[in-house]
Amino acid sequence: KLNVGVDTIQHGVEGLTYLLTESSKLMISEIDFQDSICVLGFSDELNKLLLQLYLDSRKEIRSILSELAPKLPSYHSLEWRLDVQLASRSLRQQIKPAVTIKLHLHQNEDQTAQVLQTDPSTLLHLIQQLEQALGEMKTNHCRRIVRNMK
Amino acid sequence: ILDDPDLKDIDPTVLKHCHAAAATCILEAGKQKADISAISTCLEDCKLDRERIEQFCTEYQKNKDALEILLGSIGRSPLHITDVSWRLEYQIKSNQLHKTYQPSYLVTLNVENSDSGSHPDVSFSCTMEQLQDLVGKLKDAAKSLERATQM
Repeated sequence: KLNVGVDTIQHGVEGLTYLLTESSKLMISEIDFQDSICVLGFSDELNKLLLQLYLDSRKEIRSILSELAPKLPSYHSLEWRLDVQLASRSLRQQIKPAVTIKLHLHQNEDQTAQVLQTDPSTLLHLIQQLEQALGEMKTNHCRRIVRNMK
Repeated sequence: ILDDPDLKDIDPTVLKHCHAAAATCILEAGKQKADISAISTCLEDCKLDRERIEQFCTEYQKNKDALEILLGSIGRSPLHITDVSWRLEYQIKSNQLHKTYQPSYLVTLNVENSDSGSHPDVSFSCTMEQLQDLVGKLKDAAKSLERATQM
């Protein structure tokens, strides 16, 4: 329909892809983008179209690129259950409370669920430790770094 | 027991039988959480004299708690969480994506396997929101525990 050779189309698509992914990866500003494509010698209208295309698809391209970075299994969700062990083969008449947890993790599109258990005092310890972790982002040290890294 | 100098005059087979009998008796008593009177009655039925019964019961009483703890720890259970470590990082770039600027947590749950004593730790990464979700759910569990103890 376009009346050009297959090779030309292929090069065109590849060029466009490269342009958009590199620009999105580096998160370059509008002005930098415009300056970069200016040297290609296209018409003003085409330049405007390219800029618009870049701005529209930047977010999506970046989220796809973020999937390529090295990753550990990531947290998905957690279910919990309260149990009390009343007896076992080796000991009758027990009262042993425990919290059973199902941890759902994602790894590269695989979902895993792991069943774990803990006792009440460890549970409280876990909560305290993780709350401390959450509080770290609000400390002056972290805030300073975040401010200075932009 | 076979090496004990006080017992060397006794036939080893008899010694083994005694040891096995005593062990079985103690373990059964521990398993059923039997009280002293039940044990005494049982030993009386076996025709032991008063003095020996009292000695046995005194020794049993001394070690009862340790015995119960030991018996209670036998058995299978899911992997048991013993501790947690966390690491906070601030991502700035990767080779695929620059200027990411995102905080991220790496959490490791130290886990103990009652069977083999191995430590198959569970590690995962999460964002701040996900960690808040995790902590929120753990706190729900803790609250429900508290309510259960008050019932």
